[in-house]
Amino acid sequence: MRLHVNKNLVVCSLLVAVMLAPVVARQAAEKEELKLQLPKPMFIGTPTNIKSPNLEVITGKPRGPFMVPAGTKLLSLKRPVKSSDMQPVIGEVEMVTDGEKEGGDGYFIELGPGKQWVQIDLGATRALHAILAWHYHSQARVYRDVIVQVSDDKDFLKGVQTVFNNDHDNTSGLGLGKDKEYIEVAEGHLFDPKGVKGRYVRLYSNGNTTNDLNHYVEVEVYGTPLT
Amino acid sequence: MSRAVFGCLVVMALVLALAFRLIGADLRPVHHDEANQAVRFGILLETGEYRYDRNDHHGPTLYYLTLPFAWVRGQMTLASLDERTIRAVPAIFGAGLILLFPLLAGGFGRAAVAASAFLAALSPALTYYSRFYIQETLFVFFALTFLIALGRYALHPRSVWAVCAGVVAGLAYATKETSLIVLLTSAVAAALARVWTAAPGASGGEASPVSSGTRARHMMAGLAAALLVSLAFYSSFFTNPWGFVESIRAYGVYVERGVGSGPHAQPWDYYLRLLAFSASGGLVWTEGLVLMLALVGMIAAARRPSTGFWPRYIGLYAVMTCVAFSSVRYKTPWNLLPFYVGFVLMAGYGSAALIDGARSHVLRVLAVVVLVLASGQLGMQNWRANFRYPADPRNPYVYAQTSPDFLRLVQRVTDVSALHPDRAGMLVKVIAGTYEQWPLPWYLRHMTRVGYWNRAAEASPSDGAPVIVASRENTSALDAALGDRYVSEFYGLRPDVILTVYIERALWERFLASRQPQPKF
Repeated sequence: MRLHVNKNLVVCSLLVAVMLAPVVARQAAEKEELKLQLPKPMFIGTPTNIKSPNLEVITGKPRGPFMVPAGTKLLSLKRPVKSSDMQPVIGEVEMVTDGEKEGGDGYFIELGPGKQWVQIDLGATRALHAILAWHYHSQARVYRDVIVQVSDDKDFLKGVQTVFNNDHDNTSGLGLGKDKEYIEVAEGHLFDPKGVKGRYVRLYSNGNTTNDLNHYVEVEVYGTPLT
Repeated sequence: MSRAVFGCLVVMALVLALAFRLIGADLRPVHHDEANQAVRFGILLETGEYRYDRNDHHGPTLYYLTLPFAWVRGQMTLASLDERTIRAVPAIFGAGLILLFPLLAGGFGRAAVAASAFLAALSPALTYYSRFYIQETLFVFFALTFLIALGRYALHPRSVWAVCAGVVAGLAYATKETSLIVLLTSAVAAALARVWTAAPGASGGEASPVSSGTRARHMMAGLAAALLVSLAFYSSFFTNPWGFVESIRAYGVYVERGVGSGPHAQPWDYYLRLLAFSASGGLVWTEGLVLMLALVGMIAAARRPSTGFWPRYIGLYAVMTCVAFSSVRYKTPWNLLPFYVGFVLMAGYGSAALIDGARSHVLRVLAVVVLVLASGQLGMQNWRANFRYPADPRNPYVYAQTSPDFLRLVQRVTDVSALHPDRAGMLVKVIAGTYEQWPLPWYLRHMTRVGYWNRAAEASPSDGAPVIVASRENTSALDAALGDRYVSEFYGLRPDVILTVYIERALWERFLASRQPQPKF
């Protein structure tokens, strides 16, 4: 079989490729690997060998590099935190952004049963490129109905953008989520906000496979100033 | 302490105990052992029939004594039962222990008994297992009644106490076959305490003299009463005489279990460590106050020349029963109750000894204030153990507990069945090992077509059951058999035990549609 090739089309395509190459190369050059400081793992392997179409595949390997725009910085460190349960039985809400990510006792807050949230005020609207959350990583467990939202409204009534939602049956009433559930591990879970802009970041959860409580060791929000 | 003040304090302790044991009885998901007992009771409730099973379940008093509770609430079927009905039984018997304490007021002193009553009301361990539909609190109630009746007989050898001891020994045996351990340690403790308090210089109560022939007749009457009561229960009220023989044959099962190295094998100090201190996940627990006060009580009982029979008797019972239970390899946390109730009584005696030992009125008031504040810490732990963390693995009293996540599974099956044409008659296949099937039979008791299999190959999974619940080892076979005709979800059953639920895709789509927010007009 002979392949008929339009010579003009080939020439045009090559010209476009040559013109775009520097742009693509510059964009690639402007991205850099997000450097993270990860805590020590508290358990080895995945004792709950769960397989489910609604669960992220467990590879047992470290997460690959995550590329973010150059100049991306940690915005959430020591920033003020609010919570739906302002008097947790264990810990203080400030622990969510205190930079301590160890999995042991004394490093996490425990919010009450059912749907709860924590909210971080970044102080100004930023372009967000990575959100990293550790609920509780000293045991393999899955937190239910994890939803991550960004907004400029501190009450999350308007301009709410959902970055992640694995509430696949709309238990929380914030819409059906298409994202998958995941098992908590020491490297935390990385949500990709894809550059959405906002001042406040809110994370919901609704108990977990071990108990009906909600925990946060740390949340890190990375981003860049608005240009 | 006047009789009126004593009465008021005991009533206050009883009310407190009832509140801690009855309020929010359905807060904790039903444990698989509770579910098993409840379904057994459901059969008795619906059919009036009971057959003893020597391999499991213990004796039948729990079931027979649950009947009036169900009748009072107008629940005549398994499906109509709820957690509040079944758990009211152990709660009433657990709180009822406090009503037995005043029987010791003569030997212990009113202040000691009042202190014991409050410690029992507040104890997280005693409360936790009083909210558990298993035999334990009934057993402890009968065991303590036996202990008191036997003590009375040791001091006043009359036939009434012998028969009374026999009846409650029969009830204890009809509750748990292994009650013989407690009955024997009670008898040995009574004999030792009699010798101890009869020694020169001791001021133990003098036993009324009776001839050995009279004593033998009393013993025969007591044994006959025990035999009659236990025979009545194990034989399903004389309709299945073989049941009683089976209860004796059960010792083969329990001896094997007791010395074996199964999943319940624990080191000798398991119970004492559990009570003394545990810390996990930011939570710290201790009933060290009771243990320390009990130690004070035991030392006071041993050293005071004026100590009578009762404190030494109860102290010996507590120590010997603790040693006996600790030396058995098979241990479950609720097995600590029979000796721990002795420790609680001795802690009350220790509290009174501390207050009596204070040399001035100010010190005495200070001792009372410190003890009240320390008891408040027990109350806080009680609240945490039973209301905040009743199913949390960090709670030391939690043992192989059903996870709250499991209730989502039950809710899911209930929700999708409401959208299925057959409703509660929708076919549900449960494919899991026997241990992973429970407590589903309790939670799905309102559904009429639930089948249970151990392996996928036995269950014909491809024949179109709208909902399949499977344990982990069956999911590969089910994934292959079901393809993409089903949607699957997973739920925690117990720590590190996961169940997968398969829902027919069309039914799942209907369910999702029902969860979409309705458009506003």
